[in-house]
Amino acid sequence: MLDLQGYGPRLIEGAGVTIQLALLSLILAIVLGLLTASAKMSRSWLLHKIATLYTTVIRGVPDLVLMMLLFFGGQMALNVATDALYDRFGVDWYVNLNAFAAGVLTIGFIFGAYMGETFRGAFLAVDEGQIEAGRAYGMSDWLVFRRIRFPLMMRHALPGLSNNWMVLLKTTALVSVIGLSDMVRVAAEASRATHEPFVFLIPVALIYLAIASVSEWIFARLQKRYNVGFGGH
Amino acid sequence: MAATPMPLEARNIKKRFGDTEVLKGLSLQAHKGDVITLIGASGSGKSTFLRCMNLLEQPDEGDLLMHGEEIRFKQTRRGREPADWKQVVRMRAKLSMVFQGFNLWAHMTLLENIIEAPVHVLGKPKKEAIEQAHALLERVGLSARANAYPAQMSGGQQQRGAIARALAMDPEVMLFDEPTSALDPELVGDVLKVMRDLAAEGRTMVVVTHEMSFARDVSSQVIYLHQGLIEEAGPPKDVLTNPSSPRLQQFLAPKY
Repeated sequence: MLDLQGYGPRLIEGAGVTIQLALLSLILAIVLGLLTASAKMSRSWLLHKIATLYTTVIRGVPDLVLMMLLFFGGQMALNVATDALYDRFGVDWYVNLNAFAAGVLTIGFIFGAYMGETFRGAFLAVDEGQIEAGRAYGMSDWLVFRRIRFPLMMRHALPGLSNNWMVLLKTTALVSVIGLSDMVRVAAEASRATHEPFVFLIPVALIYLAIASVSEWIFARLQKRYNVGFGGH
Repeated sequence: MAATPMPLEARNIKKRFGDTEVLKGLSLQAHKGDVITLIGASGSGKSTFLRCMNLLEQPDEGDLLMHGEEIRFKQTRRGREPADWKQVVRMRAKLSMVFQGFNLWAHMTLLENIIEAPVHVLGKPKKEAIEQAHALLERVGLSARANAYPAQMSGGQQQRGAIARALAMDPEVMLFDEPTSALDPELVGDVLKVMRDLAAEGRTMVVVTHEMSFARDVSSQVIYLHQGLIEEAGPPKDVLTNPSSPRLQQFLAPKY
C-alpha cells in the first residue's frame, strides 16, 4: 500500500498551489497575449516596438532566470521605489512581493509572450471579409471584436493555446526555486527526508498527468464549440 | 431642394492608393426608390466608389450626405478620417451592403446572421428579430435553411441569405458590390430575381454589376465609369441602347 508517511496533506496542498498558480498565470498570459497581439498589429509604431521587445526578451531568456530576476530583483526594485516614496513624499508604504504573486507574474509574463504570437497568427487567419461585413452593418470596433473577430480567431488559436497551456502547467514546477511550496517542492522534500523518491514523485507525475488529461478534454470541447459552422470536427 | 432630402448623396469623391488615383472626382445622387447601377471595366473604380459610400474605404476628398446630413471628416497624420465614428456607425446601420463574396459570418447559422445586427446594433428585441428573420427567409426562398451554417449552403443560397441579412436592417439604401460575380452561372438567376423584386417594391439601391440585362431592365440610372471618372450617365435606355461614348460602345459590344 502507498505510504505517504504523513506528507499526504501537504502534497495535496501543494497540488492546490500548482493548480491555482497555473490557472492564474494562464489568465494573465491570455490577457497579456491579446494585448501583445493587438499591439503588434496596431498602426502605432511605438506599440509595435514595445510588443516586439517584450516577446523577444521574454522568449530569449530562460524561464528560470526570469523567475529569479523578477522575484529577487523585483523585490529590490520595489524597495528602491518605496524608499524613494518615503524619502521624497513621506509615504510610508511597503510591498512585500510574495512567492506566489511573483510566480504568477513571472509565468504569466513569460507565457503572455508566447500567447501573443499564437493570437497574432490566429487573428491574421481571420478572413477580412467577415470583419468588413461587421463594420458595414454598423458595428463598433468593440462589437466587431466581441461578436466576430474573437470567436473566429479562437478557432485558429486553440491548438496553440492548448499547447502553451501544457507547457505552462509544467513550468509551474520552477516556482520551487523561489520558495513556493508547490507539489514538486513538497515531493522533493519528502523524498530527501525519507529516501523514497518514487513514493512521492510518481504520485506527483500522475497528478500532472491527470490535470493534463482534464485539460485535453476541456480543449477538445472548446475546439468543437469554436469549430461550429466550419464542418469537420 | 426636394422636400425630402436624398437618402444618399456623394459629391466629388476622390481616392488614391499610393501613387494611383483610382477615383478622380465622382458624384452620385440616390433619390428614394432609385436603382443606380455602376458599370465599367475592372479597375474603373466602381467597387471602390461603392465602398467609399459606407466608408469601408476612406475618400481622400469629397463629401457624403445622408438625408442631407454631412459626414464630418478630419485630417490626421494617416490621412483623412471620419471625425465622429459614432456618426459613421449610425450611417452604416442605414446602408446595408451585399458583398461579392457574401461574407456571411461563418460561425453563425443563417438565422443568427440575420438577427445579429438588428439585435446588437439596432437593439431590437431578439424575439421580434427572429420573427422578422423568418419572414425574410421565406421571401428569399430559404425557410428550410434557417439553421444551416454558411459553409453548408451553395453560393446562391448564401447570397440570398446575405440579402435577407441586409433587409433585416430595414435599410434606407442597399449597396450591392458585384453580388453575382462569384456565383456559378446557374445560380445567378435566383439572386437577380430577388434583386428585381426589391427594385420593384421601391427600394433605393446602388448596384455594382456586370449583369447588363439587370442594368437595362431594372435601373433608373446607369453610370459608366472609366479610369475613375464618370464617362457617361443617364437612364438605361439612353446609356445602354444608345451610348454616345466610343469607350462605352466598345464596352457594351458583344465580346465574341
